[in-house]
Amino acid sequence: MQGTSEFLLEVRGLSVTYLPADGIRIHAVDDLDFACAAGEVVGILGESGCGKSTLANAILQLLPRHALCGRGQIFFRGNDLLRVAEPELRNIRGLGISLVPQDPALSLNPVIKVGLQIDEVLRAHLALRSKERQVRIRDLLCEVGFDQPNEISSAYPHQLSGGQRQRIVIAQAIACKPSLLIADEPTSKLDAPLQTEIIALLARIRRDHGIAIVIISHDPALFAGFADRMAVMYAGRIVEAGDTPRIFRQPLHPYTQALVQIAKSTFNVSASQSRRRFAAIGGELPNPAAFPAGCRFHPRCPERMEICEQRDPQVFLPLPLQPVRCFKYGD
Amino acid sequence: MSTQTGLANPFLSVRGLEKHYVRGGLWGTRVPVAALKNIDFEIRDGETLGLVGESGSGKSTLARCVARVEKPDSGEILIDGKDITAKPRTRLSSRELVQMIFQDAVTSINPHFTAAQVVEEPLLIQGEGPQSRREKVRTAMNETGLPAEWMARSAMEFSGGQRQRLAIARALVIRPKLLVLDEALTGLDLSTQAQIANLLLDLQAAHALTYLLISHDVTLVVRMADKIAVMASGRIVESGPTSKILTAPQREETIRLLASARTAQENFAAITGGSE
Repeated sequence: MQGTSEFLLEVRGLSVTYLPADGIRIHAVDDLDFACAAGEVVGILGESGCGKSTLANAILQLLPRHALCGRGQIFFRGNDLLRVAEPELRNIRGLGISLVPQDPALSLNPVIKVGLQIDEVLRAHLALRSKERQVRIRDLLCEVGFDQPNEISSAYPHQLSGGQRQRIVIAQAIACKPSLLIADEPTSKLDAPLQTEIIALLARIRRDHGIAIVIISHDPALFAGFADRMAVMYAGRIVEAGDTPRIFRQPLHPYTQALVQIAKSTFNVSASQSRRRFAAIGGELPNPAAFPAGCRFHPRCPERMEICEQRDPQVFLPLPLQPVRCFKYGD
Repeated sequence: MSTQTGLANPFLSVRGLEKHYVRGGLWGTRVPVAALKNIDFEIRDGETLGLVGESGSGKSTLARCVARVEKPDSGEILIDGKDITAKPRTRLSSRELVQMIFQDAVTSINPHFTAAQVVEEPLLIQGEGPQSRREKVRTAMNETGLPAEWMARSAMEFSGGQRQRLAIARALVIRPKLLVLDEALTGLDLSTQAQIANLLLDLQAAHALTYLLISHDVTLVVRMADKIAVMASGRIVESGPTSKILTAPQREETIRLLASARTAQENFAAITGGSE
């Protein structure tokens, strides 16, 4: 099935529902539109539980059995991944799209040397001879920043630090030169200096190979200077999207405004800030099994109006290329 | 907030604390590894001492020794000037009972317990009766922003931020003076982290609590601590009032830690157009 998408990846009207055994339907992703052009970096920002990882797994078609992609399309290079058969999908994963997982300690096999785990990816997708694969593994390890690839290659995951393990899974992800990387909270288990290094590495990979990256995080600071565009997700939906610098300078949705304010207030290293309360949003994400009526953000919104409790806001376009779901910008 | 008048006695003082672990054993040779070397520091009543350092520098070992989860090899831990290292746990007063809050509330809470059972556990250990237990649990949950209706809810149903609130309620229920916060804000979303940090600041103001705040996140420590101690390879390499550490750091380790926090701030300010 061919689409007409100019994007490398385009998600249209996607809904994902979990149907657990206890029968309570959870609408993790709801009527979501999202796109990423070739070579572009797009950030998806949101708190845990907003559906970010469900979106990532839906793009890779790695959702658990009880999840249902009810509506929508996911076009990758013009093919709708929801209608592609499993053998073809196995080729797309790795060769076309690959995943940088959140916790490399969980995704790496503890009893296999890391070099062999990179080799597994190469053997699965490319017809290379053993010698060629060895060279390739060495090159990949150098590329992700190891000075001594041979020593690292024969190490077990537990012998490596958290930052080193993250580099290994990045090497696995780029092993077959895919055109799209999905990085799901790639730095959330690392401390600040390591976070900066990993983001710099991903930026270099994009520059050198033109690989597009969809990066998912709860921390807007990761996107600063890295993501070309970003989308803000709340309770299964994208509430605002646009160019990263523009969203940071002029956030439109009250939720985005709050997130930017929290980040500004948190990343403030000066003595005058001592013991001053942080900017914060009250309350928590709504339960995805029972979203509130009207705008899903209204119970926490400092600017809620009567209409927000009654109707679900559609997408408005108060500024060019910065769609926002909020009644402040029309009704 | 108390100041450094030098007149008041410190609430907590740690003197010459040492701790070794033994690596190897069984078939290998046993090598003692020093985790803490000659640690000295003080915290005054109602103050926060921030302990920063890279992973593996000994922060958590020190936290565990202060909370008496771990037994130091030598040295003294004094509360109100009295050494508590040798005092049996059961004879500690509530002022001497240091409570600890961990990074991962998911693994520090029994998933089969209801919220009330989680919070009342320290009281059970102290042998309190059901009536007063219920009262105290209700108060502690209320103070941490958890509605009393949630007392019967399973701890499993709580979100990450709510579980951290539950862990704080459990620590507070016996009315301690000193809380050891070991990466208690790590791994939370930025928005949840801000909420919990505010809660800790509010509780400190309300109850004159003393905090030993351990984190690899310098930004957070700078914001919450009155004084900062920097650890590297089992030693405190630099310490002083937060403003002094910020404006005139002496040691390379400190400068490096501050630099990464400042870079994050500058990157973000550059793109958003200035700090708050």
